[in-house]
Amino acid sequence: MNANRLSGLVFVGFGLLLFTVVIPWQVETVAYGWLKPRTLPRILAVFMVICGAVLAIWPPADRAGRDIRWARAALFAALLVVALALMSRLGFVLVAPVMALAIMLLAGERRPLWLILGAGGMPALIWLVVARLLERPLP
Amino acid sequence: MPELSMILAGLGDAFSLQTLAFVLFGVITGQFVGAVPGIGPVMAMAIAIPFTFGFDALAGIGFLVGVNKGGLVGGAIPAVLLNTPGTPDAAATALDGYPLARQGKPLKATKMALFASVTGDTFSDIVLITVSAPLAVLALRMGPVEVLGLMMLAFAVIAGLMGSSLSKGFIAAALGLLCAMVGTDPEHATPRLFFGQYELYDGLPLPAVAIGMLAIAELLNRLARSGGVRAAVTMPERQSAADKRVSWAEYWACRYTIARGALIGTVLGALPGIGSTAAAFMSYASARQASRDPGSFGKGSLHGIAAAESANSSVMGANMIPLLTLGIPGNVSAALIISAFMIHGVQPGPFLFEQQGRLIYGLFGAMIVANAMNLLVGQIGLRLWVRVVSAPESFIFSTALLMCFVGVYLASGGIFGIGVMLAFAVLAFVMNAFGFSVVVFIIAFFLGPRLEISLSQTLALLDGHPLRLLDYPFGLALMALAGATGIYLARRRQFDAPE
Repeated sequence: MNANRLSGLVFVGFGLLLFTVVIPWQVETVAYGWLKPRTLPRILAVFMVICGAVLAIWPPADRAGRDIRWARAALFAALLVVALALMSRLGFVLVAPVMALAIMLLAGERRPLWLILGAGGMPALIWLVVARLLERPLP
Repeated sequence: MPELSMILAGLGDAFSLQTLAFVLFGVITGQFVGAVPGIGPVMAMAIAIPFTFGFDALAGIGFLVGVNKGGLVGGAIPAVLLNTPGTPDAAATALDGYPLARQGKPLKATKMALFASVTGDTFSDIVLITVSAPLAVLALRMGPVEVLGLMMLAFAVIAGLMGSSLSKGFIAAALGLLCAMVGTDPEHATPRLFFGQYELYDGLPLPAVAIGMLAIAELLNRLARSGGVRAAVTMPERQSAADKRVSWAEYWACRYTIARGALIGTVLGALPGIGSTAAAFMSYASARQASRDPGSFGKGSLHGIAAAESANSSVMGANMIPLLTLGIPGNVSAALIISAFMIHGVQPGPFLFEQQGRLIYGLFGAMIVANAMNLLVGQIGLRLWVRVVSAPESFIFSTALLMCFVGVYLASGGIFGIGVMLAFAVLAFVMNAFGFSVVVFIIAFFLGPRLEISLSQTLALLDGHPLRLLDYPFGLALMALAGATGIYLARRRQFDAPE
């Protein structure tokens, strides 16, 4: 099964899940008015099911899902999530240099000057501009 | 129609020292980031928006306009020197710019790109200034039915033209609308789809969604592909004076090409959904067709560069026409400028000229100033940007990520906003990978609340009698046009041509 058919089926399933579970659970029922809170979300859910079915039955001839380095992208995404979790506890000043250094190393940078500039210079510059000059809080 | 005193006051604001300084800073930033492949003006605008929060409204929006305009000029530099367009808009520029650079004339190529870009941009700004106020007066006469019809038309065009298929475009639009439903229902004020997260009572924060989907997702994509270090740009050691500049005779010889490109870009830019990349290629093809020497195209023709750059830059002013008159963003840059308007408490749409006329004429003034600065900064800065673009991607991308974190924290007021940004970055990465248009998603996300309100008002007006639609012939015509457009685009794509 190609990626387009699969994504079409995913949206058929997602639309059905929205219509039958999520919308009744997460949207309150109101008895008055022409456009109730559930109306538009339900229309969108049905629309997604129809478009998903069309996509699954007549998939376009593109290169969907190919040429993507999923593992590497997931690694960087996980790094950002960890950085966010640490930043909420330890703050920007401590976490930002480590985050920048980890990103640069994972991206393949090994030259000390660029590593120092990226992990030391830029977080310091951001801190100086935002916290000192603009007097705004940092995470 | 706006009063003369208001127009003059607005133009006066544009020439204040503060606004001039911010526009200049924006142009310099835009040319710099446009020159770096992988960053580009859209990402720069997305990152910069939260930082404009502390600025005066005109200074902040003028800064973003400067970034966008500067980015269009800067995007031509890597297209010419590396055959790697800094922005998709500059892809057509590379067709002749790169061969000219290979002939030892990179500065001539980048300068022709600069002159054509500024000329096209100025033309479209003049069109914007001339037509937007009368159009806004017309737009003010539209009721909920007409607004609903207009939105349906915008959705049909945008979803149909972006993404790899019509069904994918519609799914992206539906997802964007669904995310716009998160928060409080506008008619009944009941909470909706917020999953116990009280931070979502006011809906998903637009800056976090936009920055996550446009900047972080693209950075993830580039980091996943990147080797961290790109080849440095090299300039030829010896160039004659004639090869470093564009003479008046050379510029004048391209006048019809530039005029045609500016016209194509302005017309396409005024239509939602047709981006500057399409305008650049259409203008390039048209210039080649009209040329007495079509064989020179693709081999370093100045006409080829002029055609592409005049068209892609003239889209910028024109796509502000639907934004300022109807509140409908025609492309992603316009959607980002809307975010900036909203951060400063300004609601785009037909009332803008009535309620914020001074700001709008200040913005028009700032746009013209930005064009002059683009020319000036480009003349001085092109040589410098060529050196700067050799900085490694690893350094640029890690810095951009840090700025996104800080920017969203400032705009959404907390760590929760950064979490939303990362979640939408992952969504956008997956959407991009499978060919679903992120731009359609964001435009739908922005228009969602207005669509729901106009639909609700329309249903109240009809009061359960669909035939009452006949009392609104213009609105009905727009709805019919939306349907016809959807069918036309579906047929043109042969309804997702099977593999």
